[in-house]
Amino acid sequence: MSTDVGEKISSSKAYNRVKSNNYDDNVIDAIGVEDISIMQLADSFFPTGMYTTSNGLEMFFYNKRVKNVEHLKNLLSVFLKQQIGPADCVAFGNAYQAAKDSDLARLIEIDNTIFAMRLIKEIREASVRSGIQLIRCLNQIVSNKMPNNNVHSILESYDNAVRSKKANGVYPVALAVACNMFGIPKPKAGLILLYSFSISVIGAALRLGMLNHFQGQIIVDELKPLMVSIVKENIDKPLSSMWQFAPEVDIVQMMHERLATKMFIT
Amino acid sequence: MSGKRIPRLGVGGPVGSGKTMLIERIVPILAAKGYKIGIISNDVVSKEDAERMRRHLAKEMGIMPEELVIGVATGGCPHTAIREDPSMNLAIVEELENKYPYLDLIIIESGGDNITTTFSPALADYFIYIVDVSAGDKYPRKRGLGIETSDLLVINKVDLAPYVGADLSIMERDARIVRGNKPFVFTNCKTGEGIDKVVEYIVRDVLFEAQPKPITR
Repeated sequence: MSTDVGEKISSSKAYNRVKSNNYDDNVIDAIGVEDISIMQLADSFFPTGMYTTSNGLEMFFYNKRVKNVEHLKNLLSVFLKQQIGPADCVAFGNAYQAAKDSDLARLIEIDNTIFAMRLIKEIREASVRSGIQLIRCLNQIVSNKMPNNNVHSILESYDNAVRSKKANGVYPVALAVACNMFGIPKPKAGLILLYSFSISVIGAALRLGMLNHFQGQIIVDELKPLMVSIVKENIDKPLSSMWQFAPEVDIVQMMHERLATKMFIT
Repeated sequence: MSGKRIPRLGVGGPVGSGKTMLIERIVPILAAKGYKIGIISNDVVSKEDAERMRRHLAKEMGIMPEELVIGVATGGCPHTAIREDPSMNLAIVEELENKYPYLDLIIIESGGDNITTTFSPALADYFIYIVDVSAGDKYPRKRGLGIETSDLLVINKVDLAPYVGADLSIMERDARIVRGNKPFVFTNCKTGEGIDKVVEYIVRDVLFEAQPKPITR
């Protein structure tokens, strides 16, 4: 460990050069409550139950198709580039806008579309369960803050649509409603979606003993530029442009679904 | 819309302590009284317990439909799944409440060590913690959240005490010291000893002596 302060500062600057930092580090007004809301929703402590799902990683591990840290990073890149980016992120961006416009019909359309694109039953059910519990948590937060609130908010409308089975409550849409409610700007909100997914997979890898906690954080760090580029590429795309293509992942997730002994909900 | 909240009973305990057997013993007695029950089994690595209960209680005894026993994988985090983030369990509880509003009780089973296991108050209204004597008569004295804070402590497999050198009088004395006025029961789930007492507590403290609901499908 270096004891030379000058050398430490120099290393820090070298690291900062690789990030796209457009902020003036000294502008105190650059922070706001919404920044904490980003941390709150992205935190694995936020109760959505996503830690129970490995997205098929457990099966990749058992059949030795993902053997080391590099394999895991590659698999995560596939997830992000081929599924979460072009499908979930596009749905999320559209849902965010629909929530902002208080357009329930549009929100229901997006919900049903992304639900239909969840090919694996357990993944579909887990996404809905996470989304609905996210809505429940938001309801508690809103009723605590505004106990006499009679405003028919988009959150309430969406919740009613889910309860009446017009919508499913799928996670990316519920998260978009949450981010809109908390006033988190759409591009940053998109990062929450990708980050939450990534750490749920890396968390599963940790519990499977595939890597250690330092390696997990290195993967998160290395994937940051990819997450940013995927959000930039997808978040403003129209709903009709949604796609996903990761057939090996689909097949392995289906195999995982049928596994008699497993730690994770696919 | 979500129906009326159905009372929820958490059953936690270390692996092999007899959680599943306890449930398999209490459910038939409650069913004979007319109570209708749903079971959620949180399992770390398999759905074996859920499948066993489904086979025993639904197929063999025919006292509940198979779909009312649901297994949940917890991603290797059984404590989290019933405590700090019980989202998946709550989701399934809500699904049961909506689909089977005539249920009188939902039992949520989860493995968990004596040091850290508690149920979120949002998930369980009443919490039974079960240990067995083969872990040693020091168990109650060693305390832990499960042993201290559970609403009912069950000390199981009393028949094994002489074979493992466990002194039940020590366990009884320490349980009184550690738990104060909170109840505990010695059981042998294999023979059914003590099970009636457990059921009494459930009917009195969880169901509040309520009459079974009529079935309205």
